Amino acid sequence: MSQHSTVPGAQPTRDGAAPAGAPSRGPGSGPAGTAGAGAPPGRRRAAGKAAGKEGRVSLRTRFRRDRTLVLMTLPALLLVLVFTYVPVLGNVVAFQDYDPYLSENGFVAMLESPWIGLENFERIFSDSAFWRAVENTLVLFLLQLVLFFPVPIVLALLINSIVRPRVRAVAQAIMYLPHFFSWVLVITVFQQIFGGAGIIAQTLREHGVEGFDLMTDPGIFKFLVTSEGIWKDAGWGIIVFLAALSAVSQDLYEAAAMDGAGRWRRMWHVTLPALRPVIALLLVLRVGDALTVGFEQLLLQRDAVGPDAAEVLDTYVWWNGIRNQDFGYAAAAGLVKGVVGLGLVLAANKVAHLMGEQGVYKK
Amino acid sequence: MTPNSPSPRSSGPSRRSFLSSTAVVAAAVAGGAPLLAACGGDGQSERKDGATSGKDAARILPTYVPQDIVKPDIPAKNGSSAGFTTAIATARLKASVPRKLGKGGTVKVMAPLWGSPPKSDNPWYRAMDEAIGVRTQWQNQDGNTYDEKLGAVLASSEIPDVVVVPGWNLTGKIPSAVNAKFADLGPYLSGDKVKEYPNLAAVPTDAWQRSIFGGALRGVPMPASYVINIVPYYRRDVFEQRGYQVPRSADEFLGWAKEATSAKAKVWACDDMKWTAFNAFGVFPGSDKALWWDMVDGKLVNRVETEEYLEALEWVRKLYAANVVHPDAKAQNQGDSGNRFTAGQVLVYNNDLSHWYVKSIEQATQNPDFAMAGMDVFGHDGSAPRLYAQQPANIFAFVSKQASEAVVRDFLAVANFCAAPYGTKERLLTDYGVEGTHHTVQKGMPVKNDTGHLQVTGAFDLLGDPASYLAHPDRPDIVKAQVEWQQRMGAFTKKTAFYGLTVTEPNRWTNLADDFEQLEDDVVRGRKKVSDVQQAVSEWRSKGGDQLRDWYRKLLDDAGSAAN
Repeated sequence: MSQHSTVPGAQPTRDGAAPAGAPSRGPGSGPAGTAGAGAPPGRRRAAGKAAGKEGRVSLRTRFRRDRTLVLMTLPALLLVLVFTYVPVLGNVVAFQDYDPYLSENGFVAMLESPWIGLENFERIFSDSAFWRAVENTLVLFLLQLVLFFPVPIVLALLINSIVRPRVRAVAQAIMYLPHFFSWVLVITVFQQIFGGAGIIAQTLREHGVEGFDLMTDPGIFKFLVTSEGIWKDAGWGIIVFLAALSAVSQDLYEAAAMDGAGRWRRMWHVTLPALRPVIALLLVLRVGDALTVGFEQLLLQRDAVGPDAAEVLDTYVWWNGIRNQDFGYAAAAGLVKGVVGLGLVLAANKVAHLMGEQGVYKK
Repeated sequence: MTPNSPSPRSSGPSRRSFLSSTAVVAAAVAGGAPLLAACGGDGQSERKDGATSGKDAARILPTYVPQDIVKPDIPAKNGSSAGFTTAIATARLKASVPRKLGKGGTVKVMAPLWGSPPKSDNPWYRAMDEAIGVRTQWQNQDGNTYDEKLGAVLASSEIPDVVVVPGWNLTGKIPSAVNAKFADLGPYLSGDKVKEYPNLAAVPTDAWQRSIFGGALRGVPMPASYVINIVPYYRRDVFEQRGYQVPRSADEFLGWAKEATSAKAKVWACDDMKWTAFNAFGVFPGSDKALWWDMVDGKLVNRVETEEYLEALEWVRKLYAANVVHPDAKAQNQGDSGNRFTAGQVLVYNNDLSHWYVKSIEQATQNPDFAMAGMDVFGHDGSAPRLYAQQPANIFAFVSKQASEAVVRDFLAVANFCAAPYGTKERLLTDYGVEGTHHTVQKGMPVKNDTGHLQVTGAFDLLGDPASYLAHPDRPDIVKAQVEWQQRMGAFTKKTAFYGLTVTEPNRWTNLADDFEQLEDDVVRGRKKVSDVQQAVSEWRSKGGDQLRDWYRKLLDDAGSAAN
C-alpha cells in the first residue's frame, strides 16, 4: 500500500515546470496540493481533517458525512485487530515460564503460567548464541544493503533503456521468473552448481583441482546468501522502480535533450531525481526490516554451514520456540527483535526526512 | 546395566522368556485391582514428572496373554523381531477378531504420514471401518514436520480424539503435554481387562511399560525390537565386483573408504556415518533422553560425558576430513542418503532396518544388478561391539482426555483390530487392503496394485500393532537377512538403566541438552573442535546437568530399573 502512495507522490514532477524543482519540494506540499474534488479517499479525509481544524466541523457531522467510508474500513480494521494487535498481547509469555499445556488451551495457560519477570531476557543477553545471531543478522543486512539493494535500480534503468517493447517484455519476464521459484529449488540449483559434487567441482576435478565447495564454507556463507537473494529477487525488485520511471514525462527527456544533455546527464538529472522518493522509501522499509534477512533461505542452509555462520534472529527464535518448545524464551527474543526493528525504522525515517523525502509517515 | 539375559530355553522366543523373567509380568498377573489413585484427582498430579516402574507399574500394566496363530519361520531371539518368510493362503487365514468390537461411533485421528496421503474417504479406509465397526476420520500430517504441528495442536483446546505421537517427537514440553491432555487407558486395559481385546493382550509387556506416561497407561504402543535399528548398508554388487572386503574396525573402514572413493567418477565411500559411529564406539543410545543415562562404576553418567562419545565424533570427523563422505551429505540440504546409495554415488550409508527391503524392491525393477546388504556393526577396535538397547516401543496412539467412554472403546476396537498378528484376515486387510481392489494374489502371495500403493499407506498401523515381526513373503531372503542381522546384533546388546521406561523430565531441564545434536554435526564436519563439545558438556553440567543427574539417580533408587 505504501508503495502505491509513492507513485502519486512522484507525479507532481510531471506537473512541475523543471525537474530540478522536485527535490526542493517540501514534504508537506504533496497532499495539501493535490487535495481536491477528485482526490482519492485518503486525501479527502486529510482535507477533512484540515477543514475540521479550521472550520470546527463537529465529530458527529464528520462521522455522518463519512459513514460509508468508515463502514468500508471496518472489515480491514477487524482483520488488523484480530491478526495483528491481539497476537501482540501474546508477547506476555516473554515474561513467564510459559507452558502451553498447563490448562485446557494455550490461551488460558497464559493466565496460569508463573510470572518470572525479566528472567528470560537475562538468559537471552547472557546467551552467546543470541549475540552470534544478532551479529550474523546485522552483517547480512549490511551486506545485502550494499550489494543487493542497488541491483534492482540498475536493472530497472537498464530495462527502461530498451526501446523495443517485445524485447523489453521478454527481458522482464525472464528477470521476474526466479522470484516464483521456492527457496528449496533455488538452493538445490545452487548446490548442483556450486556444491562439492556440483558441476563446477566435478569439472575442476577432471582437471586435477580438488576441494571446490562453496556451499559448506562458513567463511563465504554471507556472500553466498546475498548472491542467492540477488539471483532470486533482484528481477522482482525492479517493478516498483519501473512504475516510478514510467511516471516520468517524456517531455522532460526531450527538453533536456534539446538543451544538449547527453544520455548520462539525462539519467543523472531527470531519471534519478524521479526515482529518489521511491528509493528513499524502500530504503526506510528495508532498514525497518533489517532484522529479517531471509528465514526460509537460512533455515534450509543452517545445517550446511552450522549455526555459527547461519543463525540469524529469526532462525534463533524458530529453533528455540518451535523446535525446542521454549516458548517464553523465544517470545522474549522475538520481542527484543521487534523493539530493535522499531528503533531502526524510526531512525531511518528521520534520515529520510532530513534528506527531504517523505519516508513512510510524517508527523 | 544388565546384560541381555541369554535365552534359558534353546528355541523358545526369547522375548517371552525375557519377559517372564521380569518381576513386572509376575506382578502384573498377580496384581489385583489397578491403583489409579495417582492419576485421578486434581490436574496437578497428572503432570507429575518422573517414571513409573516396578510395583507401581505392575498395578497398571495389562496382563500378557500370548497368541499362537502362526509359528514364525524364524523365531525371535536376542530381542529380534520374529520373521515370516512364507505367505499364507487366503483360505487358511484365521480370524483374530471374531465379532465386530466397534459400536459404530466416529473417531477423529491425527497421525503422521510419510508420503502422499490418500483421499480421506477412500475404499481402504471404508473397508477397515466396515470391518471394525467404527467410522474413522483421518487428519494425516506430513511426518517429517510433524513435531512442528504437534506442539501447536496440543496447545489448543480442540484436540482430535486420537493423536499419534512418535517417540522421537517427545522432545521439549511434549511429554508434559501428553500427561496433561491424554486419557488414562488403565480403566480399560489394566490387568485382566485387556482380555476383552485379545490382540492387545498379546502385545509384549515391555511395550506397555513404555506406554506409561506420567503414572498412567496412556498410549497404545507400536512394539519394536529393542535391537538397534540403524544398519550400515553397503552395495554388495559393487563390493563383489571390485573385490572389497567388508571392513571390521574403524581403522579398516577409513582405509577402505580412502581406497573406494573416486570423486572424479562421482563415487564417495559413504554418506554421513554418525549413527553407526555411536554404535561402533559403544555410546549410550541417543534416541530417547532417558537412555542417555547409565551407571558406570556406581555413578550415573550421561552419554555426552563419555570418552566413547568423543571418540565416535572424532572418527566421523576423520571421515569428513579425508573427503570420503559425499559432499551433499556435508551440506545436509540435498535429498536423502538412500537415493545417493541407489544411484551409486555412495557405497555405504546407514539407515533404518526397513530400508533393506524397501530399497531392494525399489531397485529390483530399475536396476537388476543392484544388490545391497547390511554389514555387522563392528567394534571400533575390531573386537565385538558394545551395543545398547533401544526403547521397545516408539510410536504411540493417545486418546484425548475429553473423549467419551464410547469413543475410547471404539478406538480400542480399532487398535485391537490393527494389532492382529501375521496370518490373520485382519492383518491382511490392514497391510494389503481388499483383494481385487487393492491387491491381487499372485503365486499365493498378496501383491498390491496401483490403487493399493496409493491408498494402503500406513495410517491404521499406527493405531495398534502386534509384537514386532518382519514379513516379506515375496523376498524371504531379505526377511532372513534382517532377522539374522538383528539376532547377531542382539547378542551384543545390553540395556541401560532406564530401558523400557518413559521418563518425564522436570520442565526446567527439558531444554538443557537441545543443542548437542547440532554440535555433533558441527564437529564431524570440522566446523568445531572436539574441545568445544567438552566445553558444552561442562556448561551443561553447571546449568543443571549435575542436578538432572541427581534427579535421575533418585528416580532409579525410588522406582528401580525396568531392565532387569
